[in-house]
Amino acid sequence: MDINMKVNVLPALTYNWLHVNESSIVEENIRIDRFAIPVPENLPEGVSVETQIPADKAEEIFAKAAEIANQQNAANIQGPNGDTYGRNAGQHVHTGMGIDADRLMDSMHVMTTVICAAENRKIAEPLVLHDYMKDGEGTLSRQIIHAKRGSEITVVMDYRSEDAAAGFHGISTKLYAEQDATIHLVKVQMLGSGFVHFDDIGGVCEENAVIDLIQMEMGAHKVWNGCHINLLGKEASFQDNTGYLCRYDQQYDMNYVAEQRGRKTQSEMIFRGVLMDQAQKTFRGTIDFRNGSCGSTGDEQEDTLLLSPDVINRTIPLILCQEEDVDGRHGATIGQLGEDLLFYMQTRGISAEEAKKIMVRARLESIGRLIPEDYLRGTVEDYIRKIL
Amino acid sequence: MGGSSGRHQDTFERLGIPQAERESLAGVGAQYDSELVYHNVKDEVAAQGVIYTDMESALKGDYADMVHEYFMKLVPPTDHKFAALHGAVWSGGSFVYVPKGVKVDIPLQSYFRLNAAGAGQFEHTLIIVDEGADLHFIEGCSAPKYNVANLHAGCVELFVKKNAHLRYSTIENWSKNMYNLNTKRALVEENGIMEWVSGSFGSHVSYLYPMTILKGAHAKMEYTGITFAGKGQNLDTGAKVVHQGPYTSSVITTKSISKDGGVGTYRSSVTIQKEAKHAKASVACDSLMLDSISRSDTIPGMDIRTDDADVGHEAKIGRISDDAVFYLMSRGIKEADARAMIVSGFANPVSKELPLEYAVEMNNLIKLEMSGNM
Repeated sequence: MDINMKVNVLPALTYNWLHVNESSIVEENIRIDRFAIPVPENLPEGVSVETQIPADKAEEIFAKAAEIANQQNAANIQGPNGDTYGRNAGQHVHTGMGIDADRLMDSMHVMTTVICAAENRKIAEPLVLHDYMKDGEGTLSRQIIHAKRGSEITVVMDYRSEDAAAGFHGISTKLYAEQDATIHLVKVQMLGSGFVHFDDIGGVCEENAVIDLIQMEMGAHKVWNGCHINLLGKEASFQDNTGYLCRYDQQYDMNYVAEQRGRKTQSEMIFRGVLMDQAQKTFRGTIDFRNGSCGSTGDEQEDTLLLSPDVINRTIPLILCQEEDVDGRHGATIGQLGEDLLFYMQTRGISAEEAKKIMVRARLESIGRLIPEDYLRGTVEDYIRKIL
Repeated sequence: MGGSSGRHQDTFERLGIPQAERESLAGVGAQYDSELVYHNVKDEVAAQGVIYTDMESALKGDYADMVHEYFMKLVPPTDHKFAALHGAVWSGGSFVYVPKGVKVDIPLQSYFRLNAAGAGQFEHTLIIVDEGADLHFIEGCSAPKYNVANLHAGCVELFVKKNAHLRYSTIENWSKNMYNLNTKRALVEENGIMEWVSGSFGSHVSYLYPMTILKGAHAKMEYTGITFAGKGQNLDTGAKVVHQGPYTSSVITTKSISKDGGVGTYRSSVTIQKEAKHAKASVACDSLMLDSISRSDTIPGMDIRTDDADVGHEAKIGRISDDAVFYLMSRGIKEADARAMIVSGFANPVSKELPLEYAVEMNNLIKLEMSGNM
């Protein structure tokens, strides 16, 4: 199978010559062996899992949210210059990578696994989905995580393989947090250095609902990540902590969007990463305050450590705003280790090389320690130590 | 059209430009539509060897070789479609040459007015500040309002040589039927300093992003800009900088205000090339939304191709603080005046960079915009 997709399209386009408006996944002779992520037999109490659900049926839960968003759009004032939202109008729920990821899944008839948290159940035990990939293996999978009213669920997903393994790993995860519900989603990617990997996330938050995303990207050769969260209800909230490590000739392409529609919504997105060797990374992050999102706040921070003269780092942090009563900010700090810090460490007997390792580990572990599942947290720490 | 020069010059006399020139400017050029109608430079400035003349004369006169060497080299016609249009139909504009080591203490000014309905203006400004020289150039733009669209597709090419300093200030108040699609670019050599001060108030649609190429080692660039997008306006402005040389640095500070359905977009790019070791770049953009029928978008981009660089970016968007308005009102200031005062304060980092007369003009423009009288 050949893949040719346009993904991670910037919500408002900018200069073409920067080559950041979109990304393409062009891969030939991809072999897909598996169409679902394995689900454990023993589920935490209050969690139900249905498998092999056709996508159209599974995504019906998003219809109401899509209708509200469309009504708001119809009455909307002008979009941003270079507006691309219309491109994904066919999606039941917008995702970061966009409609081409859905089309790929549809064309391959990938069924959906629906994970549901029962109403008003606060489920302390995380549902852990391990996806161990063999060398040469290919997989596409789809999940919906549905937290019913007043519930709380934690889903941990990790994708791993042998260090030198190659293959194809594509995953789409859609989230629906009903009123007062909370979804904690943890995704950790430690695939082998020959893998092509994409991870597409889309979500909707009703009133007072929370989506909390922790994501670590450390493996694979080419990686595309997208996440688009629609904060539809009043006081809905989105928190994102993403850590990444790009080494060798890895290519990492990201597109994160917090679409704030409800009143007093909150978004906070933190990205911490390290680029080494000949790695390339493109980060797109958007806070989009829609008309009616009065009282909302949005914050997006990116901190990138550059550790090789051959890296390429592209950063495009957007704030789109059509509401007066909001507070939005973004900041980016990109560079190498400060001379003062290096000097301080050297005065304590730590060599420059060792100091760099300490700072890389500190950066990644600041995200890694947020992982709520002990075993995976330990695995991530070991993985980082092994790399360094 | 040439026969109307005298009448146009009278208009500028009535506008008071020669008066302003006598008081605070080293020289003035004024362009009506496609024709330069007034050009003068003070004797003492001319005596220093400073050349300030219209573009047509420059192409044919004593400086023709120099002009040919630089004209449309920084912005080639192949750059984009409006640069191609400009290259094909340009007319008017100014040529400035400041010789080595000459410091022009008082600013030179060009004033552009597009007077004909449905017309375009395609003036070309070429400034060469030679090694160790110093210049402040001010550009002002305005036009009466018509019911048909007007187009401004000018081009500004600035060459800042080794150890030279150029400040280029613009107060743009085109009428609100204008499409302002201007291209401005500067090339800065070793130890050179390029400063842009930009106020965008007028026009219906503006796409304007002055670009600076920091070619030489230790070259510096500073861009300070304010954009006020009112009713019916779509002002897409910002700056672009390319760091090529080592130890180059850039600072971009912008303020953007949106009101009465206006669309304000801050758009920028910071490119740090592989050779630009020890480069430093800092971007800060603040936006103020004055109502919920307007738009304010921030679209910056950074492309960094070396680890030996330090790049910081900061953006904020918000509204006028109710507490600040309440405080001023409790001191007997009317709410409208209090809001105008806060907006003027927001614009202060830009106005303080302008000569006094222009800062006053800018503050008056802000007051007029706030009262909706423009």
